[in-house]
Amino acid sequence: MTDTHYPALSDIDSIQQAFESAGYICTTRIATVVRLAAALEKPVLIEGPPGVGKTELAKTCAMVVDRPLVRLQCYEGLDESKALYEWKYGKQLLYTQLLKEQLGDVLDGAKGLNESMSRLHQFSDVFYSEDFLESRPLLKAMEADNGGVLLIDEIDKADFEFESLLLEVLSDFQVSIPELGTIRAHSKPLVFLTSNDTRDLSDALKRRCLHLHIPFPSVELEARIVASRVPDLAQSMTDQLVRFVHAIRSLDLKKAPAISETVDWAKSLVLLHARDLDGPLVQDTLNVLLKYEEDIQIAEGQLPKLLAAAAG
Amino acid sequence: MAGAQDSATPASTSSDQLLAFVQYLRGKKIPVSPADTLDAIEVAELMGYENRSLLKNGLAAALAKSRHELTVFEAAFDDYFQPIPERPAANANSHSDEADIPPPSETSEQTGLAEGGEDLLDGLRGNALFDALESQDESTLSVAIETAAAEAKVEEISLFTQRGQYVRKILDALGDEALREAAIEFEQSEPAAFEAVQALREQLRERVRDRVERAYLIHAAAATEDLLDESLSKLKLGNIDHSQMARLKRLMDRMARKLAARHGRRRRRYRRGKLHVGETVRRAIPTDGIPFHPRWRKVERKRPQIMAICDVSGSVAAYAKFLLMFLYALQDVLPRTRSFAFSAALGEVSELFASLPVEQAIERVNLKYGGATDYGRALQDFSELALAEVNRATTVIILGDARNNQADLRVDLLAELKARSKQVIWLNPESTRLWGTGDSEMLLVKRHCHLAKECNNLNQLERIIDKLLSDRR
Repeated sequence: MTDTHYPALSDIDSIQQAFESAGYICTTRIATVVRLAAALEKPVLIEGPPGVGKTELAKTCAMVVDRPLVRLQCYEGLDESKALYEWKYGKQLLYTQLLKEQLGDVLDGAKGLNESMSRLHQFSDVFYSEDFLESRPLLKAMEADNGGVLLIDEIDKADFEFESLLLEVLSDFQVSIPELGTIRAHSKPLVFLTSNDTRDLSDALKRRCLHLHIPFPSVELEARIVASRVPDLAQSMTDQLVRFVHAIRSLDLKKAPAISETVDWAKSLVLLHARDLDGPLVQDTLNVLLKYEEDIQIAEGQLPKLLAAAAG
Repeated sequence: MAGAQDSATPASTSSDQLLAFVQYLRGKKIPVSPADTLDAIEVAELMGYENRSLLKNGLAAALAKSRHELTVFEAAFDDYFQPIPERPAANANSHSDEADIPPPSETSEQTGLAEGGEDLLDGLRGNALFDALESQDESTLSVAIETAAAEAKVEEISLFTQRGQYVRKILDALGDEALREAAIEFEQSEPAAFEAVQALREQLRERVRDRVERAYLIHAAAATEDLLDESLSKLKLGNIDHSQMARLKRLMDRMARKLAARHGRRRRRYRRGKLHVGETVRRAIPTDGIPFHPRWRKVERKRPQIMAICDVSGSVAAYAKFLLMFLYALQDVLPRTRSFAFSAALGEVSELFASLPVEQAIERVNLKYGGATDYGRALQDFSELALAEVNRATTVIILGDARNNQADLRVDLLAELKARSKQVIWLNPESTRLWGTGDSEMLLVKRHCHLAKECNNLNQLERIIDKLLSDRR
C-alpha cells in the first residue's frame, strides 16, 4: 500500500529521520502510528501527561509533510459556530441594506405577492452562498487543496456534545451545512487529537481513531531531546540533569516536570554557565522545574538523594 | 528496519491467527469492534508479520483505546505471540542430512544403556509417529498434532475441566495407542526400552498439552473467567475466602470504572421553557436584535456528596473487609466521598484511602478502629465531626449490622441526620429475615432511614450505587 498524499510518511525509518531533523525525536512507536495514520487515513488520538510533546508532534508533522497546520483549541462551550462555520451575519445585513434599491428594480412591475416571490426565487440563495460563509478551523482543514494537518488540541476540555459533532468530520472527512449541502475534503488531512486525560472520551470517538499514548520518555531518549534542543550544554551535564529530573518524577508530586520544563532548566543552566550539578545551584533554579511551592519543598528535602541519583 | 533484532513471529501467522488474537483480547475485556478488527487486519498487512515489535506497535494503535487497555494489550500480545523458542537439536534439515548418525539427546543416551533395548525398539520403527518423535522431526510432529487437534475438535473446548479429555482425544488420534501397547509389552521384560518409549511418549504428551492449553486460552478461558466472575458476584460476601480476594478486587475495580464512566460525566441538560434572556439578547446582536437563537437556562446535574460510615467491629468481621473495599472503590468513583470507620470511637479514613493501596489501607483501618461495637458513641462522634457539613445535598450511607449489644443506639442522632440530609441509607450485610432478632436494632433503625437494604453481594451493591448516583431528587 503506498500513500500518494504524504510521500514523506511512507516509511517508518525515514519518518524518524525527518522528524529528528525537524527537531522532534520520536520513538518507533510514535513513528509507526504516524505511518499508519497516513496510510489508513485515520485520525490519531494522542494521550499522555502534559508536556510530553503531544501538540509538538502535530506541528512537526505539518512541517515534515510541508502542508499548512490548522489548529483548533478546545475549551468548554466550544460549539459548531466556532469550530465548523458561521454565516457572516453582518455582511448579510449590510448587503441587504445596500441592495434594497436593486431589489426595488428587480421587483418593479411584478403583480401580486406570488410573482414577486417567484422573481426573488430566481436569485434564490445569494445570501447563503460560500461568499457569506465564514470557515472555522474544521471546515478550513476540509477545504485545503492539498491536504494538511488538523490539530484538535485538548479535546477533553470540550463538551461531550462537541465530540459527537466531530464524528462526521473524523470518519467521513465531510461537513454538512444545511443551506449549502455537504462539503467534502478534496484530499484528506492528517488529523491529530490531543487529550490530557481529564475525562474519558466517548467510545464512538475512540473507535474512529488510532490510539497513541505518549508516556514520559526514558532517560536516554530525554537526554537526546535535551541535547538536540540545547546543544550548548555539555554532554555530561545533560546526562546528570536528565537523571535528576527522572529521580524527581519518581517523587510524589502535585505536578511532575515535563520535557519542556527539563529543556527550560537546561537552557537556564547554560545561561548561568553552570559546569556541574551541585546543591546550591539546584536549589536556586528548582523553580524552573517545579511549579508548586509544596513540590519544591518535597524536592529540597530529598536533595542529597536526588543528586546522588543524578551522579549515576 | 528498526528493531530487527527482535525475534520474528511465527511464519504461520496469518489473518486467521489475528482473528483468534482478537477473540483472545475480547476475553481479556478489551472491547474490540468488528471495525477495529478490519483496521487491525489492514495494519498487519501494512506492517507485515516478520517484525514483532513493529506489529505490536501497529496493532496497539488500532486495538487498545486507552492507557489501561494498552497495558492489557501488551501483556496479551506477549502471551499470545510468543517468540519461537530455539530448540537446540530439533531441525528437519539436519535430520535428513545425518540420518545414520545416532538420534539426538536423551533417547540415544537411554537406549545406549542397554544394547538389547535398542534392538527391541526396531520393532517400532516404521511407525510414523515413533520415527518423528525419535528423530525430533519438528515439522512432521507439528503437522501431525495440528491434524489430530482438528480431528478432536479441540477448538470447541469450553471448560477448563475438559483439558484432560482433549489431551486424551488428540493422543488417540495421533496413534499413541501403538506406543502405549509397546510400552506395556516392554514394561516387565525390558526396562531400558520401556524407559525410552515412555520418555518419548511424555514428550509427545507435553506438546499435546501445550496445544490444548493454547486452544483453551483462546476459546474458553474468557468464558470460564466470566463464569467464575458471575458466581462470585452472587456469592455472599461473608463466604468469600481469601483465595478469591484478588478476583473480588478486580471485579470491584471494574465495577467502579463502569460506574465512573456512567456517572462521572457532568451532563448539562437544557430545560425547555425557561428562557435565558440575557444570553438570548446577546446572541441576537449579529441578527440585528432578532432572536434567531433562543438560549435556555441550563440545569447542572450535581454529583452527590456522599458520607459513608462503616462498621468494622467484630460482629461484622467477615464483612468488614468487603465493606471497606466497597468504600475504597466508592471513593475512587466519587472523589468527594468522605469515609468514616468505627467500632466504638469513630474517625475519618478518607485520607488513608486516598494515599494507600487498598490492602494496606484496610489493614490500618482495622488496626485503628477495630473492637466492640457501640453505635451510640460512633453516631455521637460523627455528629461532632461532620454533622455541620451534612446538608440537603448529602447522602449518608451507613454500612453495618445494627447489632449494638443491647446498648442505646442514639436513634435521636440518626433522626437528626435524616432531617438534615438528602437521604440516609443503611446497608446491612445480614439477610432481612434476621433483622430485629437478638440484639439487632435494625427494625428501629429502619424507621429513621430513607432506605434500609440488605446488601451482601456485588450485584446488590452495584445496583444500589447505580441508583444512588443516578438519583437526582
